[in-house]
Amino acid sequence: MTVMVEKKFAVDVVYNGVTKPIEVQPEEQVTALLHKAISSFGITQNAHLLSLYRQDGSLVPEAESVERAGLTPNEVLLLRPNAVKGGGGLLQLARSIVHKTFHILRECGRGECECIVYWIGPAHESLIDGLEHPVHLRSALGYQVDDGWLTTFWKALGASKRSIKAQIHTHPAEAFHSATDDEWPIVSQAGFISIVIPDFALGQPSLENAWVGRLHTNGEWQKLASMREALILA
Amino acid sequence: MTALAELDRMILLSRDHVAPTLSDEEICQQFQSLKVLCVSDPHSLSSHSGQTVVFTLVALLSRMGMQVGLNLPDTAVLLPQPPFLGSSLCEALLASGRKLVTEATVRSDSDFKADVIFVVGDFPGKPDAPCWYLTGSDWLGSVAMRGIAKPEPWSARLPVGAMVSAALAACEAFKFVMRSLPPRNPPDAVFFQPSFSSSWNFDRINVPLGELIDLGFVDFVSAGAISQAALFALSRFPGIEMSGRVFDDDITEASNLNRNMLTLASDLGQPKVLIASRRHGAGVHLQPIVERFPGRISDTRLAQRVVVGVDDIPSRWRVQEKASNWIAVGGTSHYNISSSVHTPGSPCSGCLHPVDDSGDGGRIPTVSFVSFWAGLAMTVRLLREALGEPYPPERQHLWLTPLRMDLSHAGMWIPVAPRRDCPAHCLASRSMF
Repeated sequence: MTVMVEKKFAVDVVYNGVTKPIEVQPEEQVTALLHKAISSFGITQNAHLLSLYRQDGSLVPEAESVERAGLTPNEVLLLRPNAVKGGGGLLQLARSIVHKTFHILRECGRGECECIVYWIGPAHESLIDGLEHPVHLRSALGYQVDDGWLTTFWKALGASKRSIKAQIHTHPAEAFHSATDDEWPIVSQAGFISIVIPDFALGQPSLENAWVGRLHTNGEWQKLASMREALILA
Repeated sequence: MTALAELDRMILLSRDHVAPTLSDEEICQQFQSLKVLCVSDPHSLSSHSGQTVVFTLVALLSRMGMQVGLNLPDTAVLLPQPPFLGSSLCEALLASGRKLVTEATVRSDSDFKADVIFVVGDFPGKPDAPCWYLTGSDWLGSVAMRGIAKPEPWSARLPVGAMVSAALAACEAFKFVMRSLPPRNPPDAVFFQPSFSSSWNFDRINVPLGELIDLGFVDFVSAGAISQAALFALSRFPGIEMSGRVFDDDITEASNLNRNMLTLASDLGQPKVLIASRRHGAGVHLQPIVERFPGRISDTRLAQRVVVGVDDIPSRWRVQEKASNWIAVGGTSHYNISSSVHTPGSPCSGCLHPVDDSGDGGRIPTVSFVSFWAGLAMTVRLLREALGEPYPPERQHLWLTPLRMDLSHAGMWIPVAPRRDCPAHCLASRSMF
């Protein structure tokens, strides 16, 4: 005789002060729990801004399973607004990545051509741990990434569960987002970060003088007051 | 100027849960048509605390556009109750009619036919409408429906419980109107069910009787709804001495009247800092700085105690970077309030609010009692800090949804967890690397 072990349990989710038990399976993703909670409370507006928080104030990691997140039966979770999701969080990266980026942009652009680099990292984390220098045509007026290279790159990213976190490109002089930059980012997802480095990146390897923007949910680019609103340099 | 413009943000908030087929005018009309009777007795009104219940309640109801009726014995106003003016209680309350929100009247007609009744103390008659009794002590406030609780004279010395009680009652009036509107989703009705009995306790601390309470030099970043609510509450605390500055470059608009507790309808076009710096108790001395934070003056050096009521999240990060000691941050999101305190070494406001939620760049849904709770909670934190009894770290953050205060998780005290990606790079976050 086979004995079925019931693994399902309930957590208590609090929204607007009202508590509802939501059943979960240990192997279920936290995102599934989040969606169940949102559905259970009938939330239709700005649901994408909501996250689950523990009573110790920490965010329940959405990329984990219920079991790996350490959720326990009858645990009380607070469903409350977090922030603009879809990449809206701060990206962490080592300063060495900024230095390496400047090195590539200078070497490739030689002070006379624009150049482009992508910062990449694990798909479900706000961590930048690598960069890609795409195959591209370049001139003093712009750049064009090779279609074939891009197709291969997308496949590789998908297979390795990684994603592009930000695009960084140079301008001949002033740093700004041109109409072309607005219209053709490599990623068109809200929260995506674009950085423009002035003077073909020939200045100090710093982002202090860069144009840094975030793609808003309405499709428009929002210029950030400083790179610190998008990045943490560790 | 129309009621629609003045109540715009509350109408927007109610739209979270009312049928989308309703027009703004219909929602507005429903709030404006509610008649609320406030009743009290001579004993309850013989204390500053008891008077504070009534003044706060009338202010919160009027700012929702409701029509207020009074059944009160007249008595002298014991301590200033800004923005109300007048030496007698009834004179000051009646004079506030149409001054907080232009079509919100305050009357003492004998034929006032109430939809809802709130009683502070005793009510000798038999109420002919749903009736809640307001009770409380120095730091605790309660409301309970007639039949659940018995009337009690208001006898508290300090006014915090009084303001809690008024905020709880104002919410019941709001929910009364929401229940009369067709819902967007029927299950949402749970948020607007009446609380037969609810209370909130900020917890008692020792306050020296008859002595001045020196809050020192305090900077207020923003002169908007939450800061004004904090100053409204501070002004009612007896014996307060405080000097400081208030920073804001914003001008008062009609849509601020539904929640800016110190503002009058006649203040439209006035800088908010002027209102916040002028309309408070005798012991408060604030210098108005017409400047958005961070700015030329505000970016130099902040006070040892900073009260932050600003919506803009990056501004909170800048305050965190510039402030050297104690910061209280208050915010609201729809029906929720967030109140926190940050001291050197503890997880900062960047850890709690890590991402700039730029929203739609304009109309933020709000209602009087929600903004008021946020300001009141900040005032309590400031008082506790000054009196040397701050909340412990496990109460660093208060997340409170004052809709169903009868439920156990309406208010949750929680610690703030440090984040590796803290935008203010605070000490607590750096220690994680």
